[in-house]
Amino acid sequence: MAVTTHTLHVGIAESGHDDPSVPEKFRGMGYHELNAVLNLYDADGNIQFEADRQAARQYFLQHVNENTVFFHDLEEKLKYLVDHQYYEPAVLDQYSFEFIKKLSKQAYAHKFRFQTFLGAFKFYTSYTLKTFDGRRYLERFEDRVVMVSLYLADGDQQLAEKLVEEIITGRFQPATPTFLNAGKKQRGEMVSCFLLRMEDNMESIGRSINSALQLSKRGGGVAFALTNLRESGAPIKKIENQSSGVIPVMKLLEDSFSYANQLGARQGAGAVYLHAHHPDIYKFLDTKRENADEKIRIKTLSLGVVIPDITFELAKKNQDMYLFSPYDVERIYGMPFSDINVTEKYHEMVNDARISKTKINAREFFQTIAEVQFESGYPYVMFEDTVNKANPIEGKVIMSNLCSEILQVSEPSVYDADLGYSTVGKDISCNLGSLNIALSMDSPDFGLTVETAIRGLTAVSDKSEIESVPSIQRGNSMSHAVGLGQMNLHGYLGREHIHYGSEEGVDFTNIYFYTVVFHAVRASMLIAKERGETFVNFENSDYANGSYFDKYTDQTWLPATDTVRKIFARAGVHIPTQDDWRELKAQVAEHGMYNQNLQAVPPTGSISYINNSTSSIHPIASAIEIRKEGKLGRVYYPAPHMDMENLEYFQDAYEIGYEKIIDTYAAATQHVDQGLSLTLFFKDTATTRDINKAQIYAWRKGIKTMYYSRIRQLALEGTEVEGCVSCML
Amino acid sequence: MMSEKVELLHHNVEAINWNRIQDPKDDEVWDRLTANFWLPEKVPLSNDVQSWNTLTDEEKDLTMKVFTGLTLLDTIQGTVGAVSLIPDAVTLHEEAVYTNIAFMESVHAKSYSSIFSTLASTKMIDEAFRWSRENEYLQRKADIVLERYVGDDPLKKKVASTLLESFLFYSGFYLPMHFSSKAKLTNTADIIRLIIRDEAVHGYYIGYKFQKGLEKETQERRDELKDFTYDLLDELYENEIAYTESLYDGVGWTEEVKKFLHYNANKALNNLGYEALFPKEMTDVSPAILSALSPNADENHDFFSGSGSSYVIGKAVNTDDEDWDF
Repeated sequence: MAVTTHTLHVGIAESGHDDPSVPEKFRGMGYHELNAVLNLYDADGNIQFEADRQAARQYFLQHVNENTVFFHDLEEKLKYLVDHQYYEPAVLDQYSFEFIKKLSKQAYAHKFRFQTFLGAFKFYTSYTLKTFDGRRYLERFEDRVVMVSLYLADGDQQLAEKLVEEIITGRFQPATPTFLNAGKKQRGEMVSCFLLRMEDNMESIGRSINSALQLSKRGGGVAFALTNLRESGAPIKKIENQSSGVIPVMKLLEDSFSYANQLGARQGAGAVYLHAHHPDIYKFLDTKRENADEKIRIKTLSLGVVIPDITFELAKKNQDMYLFSPYDVERIYGMPFSDINVTEKYHEMVNDARISKTKINAREFFQTIAEVQFESGYPYVMFEDTVNKANPIEGKVIMSNLCSEILQVSEPSVYDADLGYSTVGKDISCNLGSLNIALSMDSPDFGLTVETAIRGLTAVSDKSEIESVPSIQRGNSMSHAVGLGQMNLHGYLGREHIHYGSEEGVDFTNIYFYTVVFHAVRASMLIAKERGETFVNFENSDYANGSYFDKYTDQTWLPATDTVRKIFARAGVHIPTQDDWRELKAQVAEHGMYNQNLQAVPPTGSISYINNSTSSIHPIASAIEIRKEGKLGRVYYPAPHMDMENLEYFQDAYEIGYEKIIDTYAAATQHVDQGLSLTLFFKDTATTRDINKAQIYAWRKGIKTMYYSRIRQLALEGTEVEGCVSCML
Repeated sequence: MMSEKVELLHHNVEAINWNRIQDPKDDEVWDRLTANFWLPEKVPLSNDVQSWNTLTDEEKDLTMKVFTGLTLLDTIQGTVGAVSLIPDAVTLHEEAVYTNIAFMESVHAKSYSSIFSTLASTKMIDEAFRWSRENEYLQRKADIVLERYVGDDPLKKKVASTLLESFLFYSGFYLPMHFSSKAKLTNTADIIRLIIRDEAVHGYYIGYKFQKGLEKETQERRDELKDFTYDLLDELYENEIAYTESLYDGVGWTEEVKKFLHYNANKALNNLGYEALFPKEMTDVSPAILSALSPNADENHDFFSGSGSSYVIGKAVNTDDEDWDF
């Protein structure tokens, strides 16, 4: 065997040995090691935050700087990047070189620095432009911000300047697909998520598989509603016991996603939603069981269950719940099962002898969901009636997406035998981006921050052409739907010395989201006014008839606590009044709105690390989070804004418990037209009953969807790793 | 061989009553082990194929060897080690726990095969198994432990078992943890972390039972057992160093692995109730490895990553009317 000196010690170089700015105890350590030290206490029991700052610094010194391609000036750089097919010249051609130079200077003047190792590592590993061989970096963070802004502004210099300002300060952070792809010549789509309906025929199934492949290849998560597929054992062409139900279709989708994953930079990922009253519901859930047979086990597909109010009512009375054959329902009602209001028609369907049905116990159904969540974290849950009551748009929401925050109406497509469309339906896509709550509260002009973000997101919708899936393209061009999210709630509350989920915490969340929705609706109205164009079917929405605004014009919304009142006063953020809303209502009635959907709060993984935020509006999962992602391996991330002084405000989600998390989300939910990814966290002492109680509590509080359930198991006493921060806190 | 094993188990059997627990630790560990039940099929190993292809031939070769070595240890522990503890069990519940341990060891042994079949060709797999039969240090390691397992001293068997669970595995575990800290074979690392999660409990439990047994012994016998433990550790250690060199010298990681061995040897002694053998400066494992090792389920991941080592089988409890009072 040939002995070689080659080792895998990436970046464990000599530097750091004699650097006087590096504390003695960290000298000679590579950045990967320094980062790992973050997860170990020092001799006095303190968390070693400094180690991570050193890790970020060493990462630049040992790795980034020496692997970055050098250019003498911006002109040379842009020319090179365009000539070598890295940048899209059409984006740059909309501006003069002088302007681009000025914009670049504006970005660099902010002296941006990554706050954590993970932030820097993630940016350089996953976002920045690299040479085609993947070895050297062509962009710094500032360059990426400028290019994204130039792309989104589409020639509008003022908007470009505003976008640079909002993004470089960290107030607005576009979602991964946009931030990663914008302005690059070789790129995927900038849309974050896709949602498609599947109908009960082979053409629809075949076309769906194709869509799964096409959309995964271009990036973005894809979700399918399987509710309309006939159950296993249902007749085909009137011959009984022919259909094999939803499981084989799930298998096909899973394989499609993993195939497309081999081609693209980002892994393909998909979700499937099924209605609680679909006869295959138990089979669907069993695919995630620990002891599931290999033939039916689903490893990489995410599952979601759509639950109507009636299921809760039946469980309350401890009755059986009937499951209805979608095949029969569609024949009798003349519309797909997913479009039926099950709560309203439940008893009618039970009494209809033409519909074949089976029954299970309702409480047992909820318990089964909880059991499977323990084992796998799935399924997500969508509370169908809550979602549809709050939906201001005409039509029915039948599903959610991979992160359970997108909630939009859809229409079925009809296909010819050759898979062409005889009717192009309406499927869903959404472009996401999030505000950093702490930094947005610090914004000199909060309204402008929200408006700029909405304009940036709208640009993505306007510029997206998903030709491979016509129903998605049609949906996008009709709705211009966007999803403005929020992140860093816990970081902000900690910084302000407010406990997550406390009275003040919930109060802040309420007033914050109340203020955001005002500016979001206003921005959409302004765009409609400028362009003289609204989303299709605006006239039949609650925005048009004004009922959407009732809750804001009929009552005052003010902070309930002194703390929150002072916070807003000190930040100089104006809280909209009833009169502000009346004026906005009139403007919307006159000009309409450009975007069918405005807000959706995603779980924010990667971008919150780059942005130095806590994820979404969750509490932190751990003071020092262990992150494992495909490309990164294990990396450690300290909660943003946390230090040894304010540690008490950084309780983790398992300590905080589900009630406070749900209270916080409920306060936000009432101001969000789509959904919010809500993860619940349980200690391993929890039972399925605790999970069920949390679901009942969430449903009663008006929560729309529930994302993962996470269970934390602490090491058995005597088997833990000594001195490990994430193990003990 | 088969008849010997049956012989081993041949003793009076009575019905096990879990409502009369003599040692609460049995119950606690049983609950933990059953909650931790898993099968390799749940981890999407095939996502590692791309990463596997980026390894050098030498690293691939090393990985195959390390995993065959681990397979051998798990096979021993599953079919002989844990089973050999059953006749000495003081309580029926302790017996039950050993049967669980034995079964999970077989699951572990099978997991390595899952890893092999996903990543490597049949030819590579066969070669690796041939290597495992011919490597003198690996065979010696097996011989040393097996010798103690067939002996008739119940406490010595426990010492050997604990050293295997808490010490001998780790020369092999180092490799996937090392790769994991460099973002390679991360799904394989998930499987290994699940195995480590189990082995940590096994070593802890068998060590605990050893200490319980020790309480009933005379001072003379205690001294004998202590000497026996350190002697056996010495013998294993010496062999383990040679084994480690034979594996890791090629890639130059031997010194790092040794530190890891020291760290875990101390842990094994700790499980048996003895003081550490190696001083702190010999056990300063790289923080990246130490952190990667954490058996806790506090890892955060999403649908782009594997299923991780977090989820457990939950305790099902019915809801009652007051829960549905709305």
